[in-house]
Amino acid sequence: MSETDITPDTGSTATTTTAGESDEQARDAWTEYRAAGETKLSVEDINVWYGDDHALKDVSMDIPEESVTALIGPSGCGKSTFLRCLNRMNDRIKAARVEGSVEVGGTEIYHPDANLVELRKRIGMVFQSPNPFPKSIRENISYGPRKHGEIEKGLLARLFGRDDTEAEAELVERALKQAALWDEVNDRLDDNALGLSGGQQQRLCIARCLAVDPDVILMDEPASALDPIATSKIEDLVEELAKEYTVVIVTHNMQQAARISDQTAVFLTGGELIEYDDTEKIFENPESQRVEDYITGKFG
Amino acid sequence: MSEAYAHDTALVTEGSTSYDRLVDGAIALSIVAFATTLLALVELVPLGTAGATLGNYFLTLFVAVSGGVGLTAGASWANVVSVTSQRVRGVAGGLLVATGGLTAVAYLTTVTLATLLGFVLIGQALIIGGAGISSRLDIIDTEPDASAGLLAGGAFAVIGAAIGGALGGTVIGFDSIAWLVFPIVVGVGLAVLTIVPREDLGSTIPVGLVVGTLGVVVATAAIGVGWQWNPETLDGGFTGGVVIPLFAAFGALISAWAAAKCRAGFGAPGREYGAFLIINLNALLMVVTMVSIVLFVLTRGATYATRGLTTSALTLLVLLVPLLALATEFARSRVGGGEWNRTVRLVTQIAPLATLGAVAAVITTVLITGNPIEYGFNYQILQNRNLIPRETAITITPNPEVGAVILAVVASVMWIALFRNYGSLRNVGAAFPRAESVRQLVPVAVAGMAALIGGVLLVGPTPAGVPLGSVVGVGVVAAGTLAAVGLAALPVAGVATTNGSIADRTQASAPLFTLGVFGGLAVLTAALLLQPVTGHTPGIAGVDLVAVGALFATLACGLAAGVSAYARRTTTETLQDRLLGEETILGLTGAAGFIALLGLHVLATGSGFTVLGVSVTTEGTLSWPMILQPYIPLGAEPGGIMPAVVGTVWLVIGATLFAVPLGIGAAVFLTEYAEQGRFTAVVEIATNALWSTPSIVFGLFGAAFIIPRLGGNESLLAGMLVLGFMLLPLVLITSRESIKAVPDEYRDASAALGVSQWETIKSVVLPAAMPGVITGGILGIGRIAGETAPLILVLGSTLNATESVNVLQGFQFVAEPPFIINDQLLAASASLPTQVWAVIAAGVSGSPQMGWASAAILLSVVLTFYAIGITARTYFRRKLNYE
Ligand SMILES: Nc1ncnc2c1ncn2[C@@H]1O[C@H](COP(=O)(O)OP(=O)(O)OP(=O)(O)O)[C@@H](O)[C@H]1O
Ligand SMILES: [Mg+2]
Repeated sequence: MSETDITPDTGSTATTTTAGESDEQARDAWTEYRAAGETKLSVEDINVWYGDDHALKDVSMDIPEESVTALIGPSGCGKSTFLRCLNRMNDRIKAARVEGSVEVGGTEIYHPDANLVELRKRIGMVFQSPNPFPKSIRENISYGPRKHGEIEKGLLARLFGRDDTEAEAELVERALKQAALWDEVNDRLDDNALGLSGGQQQRLCIARCLAVDPDVILMDEPASALDPIATSKIEDLVEELAKEYTVVIVTHNMQQAARISDQTAVFLTGGELIEYDDTEKIFENPESQRVEDYITGKFG
Repeated sequence: MSEAYAHDTALVTEGSTSYDRLVDGAIALSIVAFATTLLALVELVPLGTAGATLGNYFLTLFVAVSGGVGLTAGASWANVVSVTSQRVRGVAGGLLVATGGLTAVAYLTTVTLATLLGFVLIGQALIIGGAGISSRLDIIDTEPDASAGLLAGGAFAVIGAAIGGALGGTVIGFDSIAWLVFPIVVGVGLAVLTIVPREDLGSTIPVGLVVGTLGVVVATAAIGVGWQWNPETLDGGFTGGVVIPLFAAFGALISAWAAAKCRAGFGAPGREYGAFLIINLNALLMVVTMVSIVLFVLTRGATYATRGLTTSALTLLVLLVPLLALATEFARSRVGGGEWNRTVRLVTQIAPLATLGAVAAVITTVLITGNPIEYGFNYQILQNRNLIPRETAITITPNPEVGAVILAVVASVMWIALFRNYGSLRNVGAAFPRAESVRQLVPVAVAGMAALIGGVLLVGPTPAGVPLGSVVGVGVVAAGTLAAVGLAALPVAGVATTNGSIADRTQASAPLFTLGVFGGLAVLTAALLLQPVTGHTPGIAGVDLVAVGALFATLACGLAAGVSAYARRTTTETLQDRLLGEETILGLTGAAGFIALLGLHVLATGSGFTVLGVSVTTEGTLSWPMILQPYIPLGAEPGGIMPAVVGTVWLVIGATLFAVPLGIGAAVFLTEYAEQGRFTAVVEIATNALWSTPSIVFGLFGAAFIIPRLGGNESLLAGMLVLGFMLLPLVLITSRESIKAVPDEYRDASAALGVSQWETIKSVVLPAAMPGVITGGILGIGRIAGETAPLILVLGSTLNATESVNVLQGFQFVAEPPFIINDQLLAASASLPTQVWAVIAAGVSGSPQMGWASAAILLSVVLTFYAIGITARTYFRRKLNYE
């Protein structure tokens, strides 16, 4: 790709250039907020290759905690690839090679001795199409905690008197309430999850992810397969979640990004991060002409 | 073609013309003729049948059709299943007319089935030809294409060539080359007739000609029942008995095709309806073939196989318990919808329970009145090369006896089922401080008894003169039994001593329910295990203490279940209702568990047990000579084939234990772990090749490779291994396919939750792949259960074996590697397929009825495997898809 007028290393510049320049109230609030919020994820010079295909180039970005960060950009620009770097899901793709550094709360996740189980418990992920397991709603939610040994159930647990059925019930209720699904399914927790509607399935996947008690939630176009009503439910949910969790969300929908996110990162074709800044700044007054073209629909 | 759109054709053609009805009749006639010829081929209705016998056959058919059509029509009239399709109605009416007419003709005339089939073919030829011509003359409204097409033309060229060849051979013989003129002329002629005219003529006239010719040949008895063709190159020949049904079946097939085309007005709808009928008749062919093979074998083997089948009414009642539980479960499942046919659905749900209840009632009458139920019949045995008829009967005796094996198995199954249904009653009910300390004592007591068992096993029953086994052990067994009874009585005692309404009291006693049932079961199990170690069975007045204890505990648990069920009826609170339901299940769980222990006790000690006139016996109360006896060489009674049944069961168990874990493991490794590449491709090819390898080659491999390495003798173990090798590729292939079919999204979702790959495979991938894996496994097991060729080479089986292998008791521990040996596994054994083969190979000295009976049992075993497989698959699919 051609040389861009903005250095890809926007992570640090973005945080400094915005401060103090505007007199708008929102901007001030944002600055304050940004000053208070600690950096949750710190990405530095990440590069991804699929075979010889250089899919992500020197991306750096600091993601503050308890906020929503939107990733936008044209199809194939590497948003999903970037998202998968954050919980090392790229490890599961044989062709993928990742270089660079990602720190979660100051700990390098690409360290050779990193504990993948713990990492993925802390950084949950929701996929583009709803993918509940072919199990009951209850089992879907308690799947993670059960596999991590936090809940014991079944014949043996019952025989040894270590049955955590009640703990499970509490967990299921909490997760489903957090995902705003409890009222719709509380009377059929033992029904198969595949019998839910698409939007309900997606919220179930969010609940399943919340059940393992993560700090960060990565979402890859979570509403792309849903109708407007289900989408707005997910959007409300994301805003609600941002009070407690750090949410990173990929979306193709500009309005969605503008509505729900606190800061936005724009990727453009070639796997480069063009601009990363406060959402309002990106949508009202972007630094880069290419970003403006993309947002106004002239490009991409 | 475009003029088709000019027609003002109605979207739905309601009602039908007499032309439609006539063609529907032709289709129905084809179906009847087709089914009849299939039955004639397996000689269920011989071709020579005529007059009243033939009439009876068609009457049966007529009654069956009237029943089916009448029921459906009634249901349609009442709007349960609405049948509005004119075509379905037409064919149904046609079936009635066809079977009714044929019945009348058969009764009124003396024609044989063969001749009648000939006339049916001629009639169809006329109807089809007529339909084609009236379509061409635009008497009826159709939309034919310009030609019937090259495919149909090619097919009729082949048919014509075959008919012409037969004709040529008959007229001038095959000696001169001139006979070739006939097939060429007739074949080309039919092809031209098919391709050149418009579709309505092209697909009816050739059919009419062919079917008509076949009909004339059969009806005029040019080829009659006694007809024979003996080609010089063959030893035998073809008889009319084979050729006529084949002609008629073929004629029926193509006339059904042509009539269907006429009915749908030719063109694309015509082709579709024609193909639909042909496919369905082929499906019918498949079903009829399967059913006739099964019937053929079963009718010949059934009498011999079931001779002397006797069982006690009580045994049957015990066996009915799980079925009743299943039926109750089925009847309880929810019925949705408010329409009136909800009642119909309710009735179908309750029907199984009602039927089983009726059966149970009949059996109970036997028990009460003391009159056995008997069904007598004859069978034949071979003595001095003569078949001698003998009388026998299937009997249900009124003995109040049940075998310990059946009791233990049924009770254990019920225990597992109930325990699975039981939720959890933790943190429910009042606190009982004393019960809490007892709860802490139970594990200690059980552990103590386990330690005592270990101690006695290690140091012997009397170490240094201390009578550890006889005195201490017996004392502990007695104390344990009493404690178990006491524990089992706790729930009822709790209800009796607390205050409040019965529902509240029962709910408050919940901790006593769990403690009583699980504690009691644990303590009594420990006592039961300790007992054989001590070498003594403590008893009072000649009755075993443990057995009496189990009985009392059963009663106590049953009482607790009854009390909580009653209490449940008095409550209106939803939560309490649920809790009391749990308590009832728990009480029943306890009862089932204690009965299982009672059965196990009788089995372990080998001494039966009678109380209040009801006996639990060590010997089974089921008498089934064919299955449960070995062959009796010189006796008046021939005995049975138990060694073969036992052999087959062990072969299947061994092969399954060997191949299924290996196959699934390999499939998991290849699909989930191995790098997809050349290695996996090679493995795949090798597996497929292994699956296609002829079974006799496996046998040779076993004989030449395995046997020399397993002691040099033909043996059961060699048979297991060879069958295992045959089963392995199928398990591997099907498991692999179904694991591959599990969507990657599940794996990603699981990985994103931080779950390890192995855990993911275990709890997401394998359950999702289960239906496929099970289907593959069961199909494979069904196949190897009936495999004969390799067993002949490696099993060393004999005809009519007199001794069964005793694998379980063959195990011995030894001090040198391999530490565990089993001479029974290394001995030759009988098996069902080799038994059938041996009867055939033995010629005159083998009793034919014994052979058929063995075959019937083999077939039943294999079909049972299929049935289990299909049930398991349906169950897992349901679980997966939540239907
Ligand atoms: N598993 C893979 N193997 C090889 N190449 C891949 C793989 N996944 C992604 N790529 C390539 O990497 C680039 C970025 O893909 P990515 O899926 O991250 O795009 P995206 O921004 O998420 O696009 P979209 O908005 O369409 O989802 C694309 O060129 C794509 O072809
Ligand atoms: Mg994407």
